[in-house]
Amino acid sequence: MSKKLLAVILALIMVLGCASVLAEEPVKLTLWTFQELHLQLYKDQLEKYNAQTTGPKLEIDMQVYPYEDMHSKLTLALQSGEGAPDISDIEINMFANYLKGDIQLAPMNDYVEPLKDVLVMPRLDNYARQGNYYGIDHHIGACVVFYNTEILEAAGINYLDIKTWDDFAAAGKTVLEKTGKVMTTWETSDCWSIYPMVSQHGGDWLAEDGSVRMDEQVVIDTLTFMDNMMKDGTAIATPGGNHHAEEYYGWMNQGNSASVMMPFWYTDRFLNYMPDLQGKMKVAPMPLWTDGGYKTAQMGGTGTAVIKTSENVELAKDYLAFATMSYDAGLQSWLLLGFDPIRTDLYGSEDLKQDNKFFQYYEDNIFAAIEGTLDSVAPTCLIDTYPVAADIVKQQMAYNLFILRQDPATVAADCAEELRMMIE
Amino acid sequence: MGQKIKANASTIVIGIFFVIAAIFLMMPFYFMFLSSLKPGTEILRQGLSFRVEPDIMSFTNYNALNTYREGIYWSWYKSSLIVMLLQTGVGLFFASIVGYALAMYNFRGKKVFDIIVLILLMMPFEILLLPMYRALSTMKMTNSYFGVIMPYLVPSFMVFFFRQYCSGLPKELIEAGRIDGCTDYGIFFRIMVPIMIPAFGAMSILSAMNSWNNLLWPLIVLNQDTKFTLPIGLGTTITPYGNAYDVLMPGAVMAVVPIIIVYLFCQKSFMAGMTAGSVKG
Amino acid sequence: MQSAQKRPRAKLSGLNDPRIVPYVMIAPFVIYLLGVYLYPTISTIIMSFQRIDGPTQAEFIGLSNYNKLLTKNYIMALKTTALFTVWDVAILIPVPLLFAAMLASKNAPLPNFFKSLYFIPALTSIIVAGIVFRLAFGSLETSIANRVIGLFGAAPKMWLQFSGSSTFVLVLLTLWRWMGVNIVYFYSAIQSIPADLHEAGKIDGANTVQAFLHITLPSIRPTLIYVLTITVLGGFSMFTESVALWQQSNPGGIGRTIVGYMYMMGITKNNMGLASAIGITLLLLVFGVNMIQLLLMGFFKKEDA
Repeated sequence: MSKKLLAVILALIMVLGCASVLAEEPVKLTLWTFQELHLQLYKDQLEKYNAQTTGPKLEIDMQVYPYEDMHSKLTLALQSGEGAPDISDIEINMFANYLKGDIQLAPMNDYVEPLKDVLVMPRLDNYARQGNYYGIDHHIGACVVFYNTEILEAAGINYLDIKTWDDFAAAGKTVLEKTGKVMTTWETSDCWSIYPMVSQHGGDWLAEDGSVRMDEQVVIDTLTFMDNMMKDGTAIATPGGNHHAEEYYGWMNQGNSASVMMPFWYTDRFLNYMPDLQGKMKVAPMPLWTDGGYKTAQMGGTGTAVIKTSENVELAKDYLAFATMSYDAGLQSWLLLGFDPIRTDLYGSEDLKQDNKFFQYYEDNIFAAIEGTLDSVAPTCLIDTYPVAADIVKQQMAYNLFILRQDPATVAADCAEELRMMIE
Repeated sequence: MGQKIKANASTIVIGIFFVIAAIFLMMPFYFMFLSSLKPGTEILRQGLSFRVEPDIMSFTNYNALNTYREGIYWSWYKSSLIVMLLQTGVGLFFASIVGYALAMYNFRGKKVFDIIVLILLMMPFEILLLPMYRALSTMKMTNSYFGVIMPYLVPSFMVFFFRQYCSGLPKELIEAGRIDGCTDYGIFFRIMVPIMIPAFGAMSILSAMNSWNNLLWPLIVLNQDTKFTLPIGLGTTITPYGNAYDVLMPGAVMAVVPIIIVYLFCQKSFMAGMTAGSVKG
Repeated sequence: MQSAQKRPRAKLSGLNDPRIVPYVMIAPFVIYLLGVYLYPTISTIIMSFQRIDGPTQAEFIGLSNYNKLLTKNYIMALKTTALFTVWDVAILIPVPLLFAAMLASKNAPLPNFFKSLYFIPALTSIIVAGIVFRLAFGSLETSIANRVIGLFGAAPKMWLQFSGSSTFVLVLLTLWRWMGVNIVYFYSAIQSIPADLHEAGKIDGANTVQAFLHITLPSIRPTLIYVLTITVLGGFSMFTESVALWQQSNPGGIGRTIVGYMYMMGITKNNMGLASAIGITLLLLVFGVNMIQLLLMGFFKKEDA
């Protein structure tokens, strides 16, 4: 008898217990990323979000996938209408793929619009269609040059004296002559060398009206400049093909190249993968093409988006806004990840100047390198056909120019023709 | 005497071939093991290094398997084991019956099935990814282990193998079994299966190997990192915008160790099965 | 199992009727075909004539997807894949065959040890193998491959940047991974050749090479056909090895195979219709090549005989 009673009581407790748990149970969301680094920020912000929220608390299941796999899975999930996460990182070169037809991402306008004055809006425009903002970025991605001062000093060069690209090329010749080392490397299987140079020069692949700009004179001039540095022997094709290859990290770490131009988010690669260069690397703004030209280019990025099929779209948006656009989120994106934040009110603030691992590695306030350039960032045109253009740049333009060593004008013309064919 | 010298000479020549091949085949494995003992940044610092450097080598990376993302590595391990056992068990069960039927019986439509097996053997599974995934999601089977093994329930390569293997079995046994009062199913399970043990041994190794290394389909099906199999999980350690070599290397070593042990244990029956089942036209 | 009762000549009726038994036995296969393969196959064929914009939006566009296959990218993927397959077959059949023959020879030292050793790469993580091969064939003078060719006085090469040398590396990677498996196939086939055949050969005075050509090869023909068939399939549908070798940085598209292109078009670029069309052409290609191969090897002749 007592056993039965006990069972009833137990069952009752369980039901009641469950009910009380239910009331407080956090809402579960899933988030996908292809960059494990981002998790640090998301987790940090989640804790803070839950501490301040008046609504339900969140529990976010965060999944990391390799770059291509994550985008493939997202496409499949959106295609089949099943299995998509609530929130997902989407890389800038892929973003336009998800803005076609019936857009499966939720607009963030109600959160973006009140903050328009303190956000670097050209960044968010990359992820917008018809006035709707679908993705929020974590950084500006302003391009800078990372100099190996040990090599430059051996050649008698002060990196701060390099003001223009002509200075850069000239310095390259001195470096090669005095040290036998190259000035820099150009990526052959990615776009982070060609695109920033072209963009800062005032060029682009496409115009807002969809027409192709790939064979304009400014593109040819830029490619010619890069090509000339290769002819001089002051620049070489990146070992391993791009600045994220294992082969490159090892080679660079051994002090074989005097500089590399990359977006600001590359700061953390030196810390993690090139430890022997600590104290030798300095960060400086991009050299200029002309006085009065753009001072820098904005490159790369991740538009984090809320997926429409989520059962908790509003909550997901609330968290995403908190974790990417708040003052603290901006600050943490620097402190934790080494990004250049998208909040303009952070720049010049004391908060950004606090000591951290990045300052320690570079032994410098590396923000000085970009603060002066943010008033003159070249725009980029990321319309629907941009992913196709980006592919052509990565796989044909860079390859044909730097590996097959074709003539710059021919490369530009061929690529433009291919792009026109593909987007028709 | 001359005969013996000739034999010794050919042993040496063959031995040289063997050793060269062994070096080539073992090189990446040796590198993997060595790197698993060194700090992750060493790969980036030195590139491919085959040097034994005792002063920087330790087993601390193996401890990282327990701490990395709350020990998620062992969840991947568990998933891989579950998928491997399920896929191999189910596949062996069905494929052996089907292969046996195709080999031992003459029935209307048998030729058609022979041809279908052959067609499936030549079918690049990859082309069916999307519709397969759609079918799976209509059945609400995404993110499940069943979803992972669904395309491999009756693997055509196994059916083909069992068909070959069974065509070497004496058909008189069926007649004898029937006289003893067995049904045909009884004959299969009680008389034939015991004879087919080597075939099961061979196929279980090949199937386990396929399942253990399968990447594309499980990646598409599974959505939760605690359910990932090892190839997916290890893949997520190099994204390549953030690389954790100190997890990848020991993780890859640990992933290969058990299957090598299984292989060494089952080697005899594996070879016996492969030999008996070696394709007869 | 009702068969437990021991009585002579059980009444075999219903599902136990020997005429019904084979159908019951292959039923799982039929269900599997209908349940798992039929819908996706038909669906792929239909999608190859459609433009697909979302889970519920699809529109028939005739042969337009197939027309798009005439672009540079597809032709290049086709060439890459075909070249790879040719080399794959040319290397991955004879080399393991040679080793299998040596392993089976009386004079082989430690055959069991080496056989097990050769099988290990097939069990190892392809991601790690990709890193090793990527670094070994790096473009720097100090990379292993460049040091090796340096011994012969050759200038350093950018192995993974040109289609010829990268096919070589890819074939090497494939050889590394699958050699052991093919050795096992061939070795077991050679073991199952009746010993008296070789005895007869010896009496006829055949030397090792002659015996291999005239006795071993014809005897293992069925295994050869089988391995050839799966190698052709493996060659045409190669994907993982290429991904492991280059990750997403595929210079000039040189390592992109048909499946890689299909994956990129369908999944990364969200163009399922085109991807399906690519898949169908791949299917036809594999069938075509394998049929020719089977005909040449006289597979069907034997079946009918």
